[in-house]
Amino acid sequence: MKAETLSHLQGTDALAKAVLESLGEGVIVIDTAGKVALLNRAAEEMMGWKSFEVVGRGVEDVIQKETEEGEHIPYKDYILKKILEGKEIIVPVTKPYWFKRRDGSRFPASLVATAVRYDNHIVGAVEVFRDVTGEQEVDRAKTEFVSLASHQLRTPLSAVNWYAEMLMAGDAGELNEKQRKYMDEIYHGNQRMVELVNALLNVSRLEMATFVVEPEPTNVMTLVRSVLDELKPMVDKKYQTLTPTFSPDLPLIPADPRLLRIVFQNLLSNAVKYSAEGGKVECAVSCKKETGRLSIRVSDNGMGIPQSQQNQIFLKLFRADNVRETDTEGTGLGLYIVKSIVEHSGGTIRFESIENKGTTFFVELPLGKV
Amino acid sequence: MKDTLKKVLIVEDERPLREALRDILTNSGFSVLEAGEGEKGLALALTEHPDIILLDLMMPKMNGTEMLKRLRADIWGKDAAVIVLTNLSADSGELVRNVVRGTPLFFLVKSDWNIHDVVDKVQEVLTR
Repeated sequence: MKAETLSHLQGTDALAKAVLESLGEGVIVIDTAGKVALLNRAAEEMMGWKSFEVVGRGVEDVIQKETEEGEHIPYKDYILKKILEGKEIIVPVTKPYWFKRRDGSRFPASLVATAVRYDNHIVGAVEVFRDVTGEQEVDRAKTEFVSLASHQLRTPLSAVNWYAEMLMAGDAGELNEKQRKYMDEIYHGNQRMVELVNALLNVSRLEMATFVVEPEPTNVMTLVRSVLDELKPMVDKKYQTLTPTFSPDLPLIPADPRLLRIVFQNLLSNAVKYSAEGGKVECAVSCKKETGRLSIRVSDNGMGIPQSQQNQIFLKLFRADNVRETDTEGTGLGLYIVKSIVEHSGGTIRFESIENKGTTFFVELPLGKV
Repeated sequence: MKDTLKKVLIVEDERPLREALRDILTNSGFSVLEAGEGEKGLALALTEHPDIILLDLMMPKMNGTEMLKRLRADIWGKDAAVIVLTNLSADSGELVRNVVRGTPLFFLVKSDWNIHDVVDKVQEVLTR
């Protein structure tokens, strides 16, 4: 049969074959014994093998896989193998595998593997993969840009900070009252800039997913106390009380202290900032061993979030009307960052708030993910 | 008298920052050595054996990570007191691993640190 249009092929094996051969992604099919049954053209090109050379050979000989660090991945750890064993995994691989070509060179690949079923039996497994070298390069370029930008933006800010501090401390001679006031304005304005740059950097890192989560045994109590110490000047100035409570069995938990700190820092400083003089801020931390979750509750009796804007409070750069009136300095990034970190870590965040009564935030985090 | 002054080496390519540190440390009673990049920093460290080194990371010629690595390879330098003072965030795994290998005592982000607190940190290290 001479087929010149797709409709000529409808319902024939030739259609499936033509499509398979035309796919831009590599496709490899194995049987239940782990032997290669099929390799499409894209896979041939990517791997450097011809289909007829590899059909019937063990898949681990044809596509050798390793981690980024070059550690060999044995066949028993292949996702294909796990799928043959009946495990339901459709893998959006976040960390790429490295595939080794016939000539020994390698490339990072993202892959999706699924079982091939016939009559309700698993008769094999299929893996669809593609080379993600390009994506990786883009990601790396972005990361480099952020770190360069952070350096370039912060350097002049550091200079302004340091010289302003020295002038205010009288290191270059005593200032009169007016001069001190002006210096204070310069210093304060620059501090806002520093905070803005830090917040923007956190946002870009989160959005580019370059936030490396590095869990280590973390003493949450110490971490919270260090945030409280930082806030103490502001708390004292407003005659507020800020009381932490920790469940007594709080162990060292596996968490990334830098990320966890950002969460506490934002929630607590918001609570202090948006509560009146004499206000009460509470922070309760507990660890539920049975659910493997860390629970955080931060509550205040401050100005609250207007009912009509509660659905926007986590949006980037959003600030509620009532806080914009009383405080012009916020960035609108804090809660956005907190939510990103919490969700990035598989946790949840919610709040209850009544305007002019107060707000309570509830955060639940799976241990070992933050 | 001069011999009893504690010696601080500042390795920092940004002139305004280097001079700010120099002025405040001199005022605080330290003897100060300065280098604008890692190569000169390393040479000064190995000949002058300062009591403490304040080390920037991103610098021309030889960066701070490399200087720290070479410093640690020296018999005197392996135990020298080093505070990394940078504007790079400690969030790149690679950067942190490389710097941590050089075991600095502290990793301070300049724009987050008050200059008087940096001086306090230096005092703290030297009175240990």
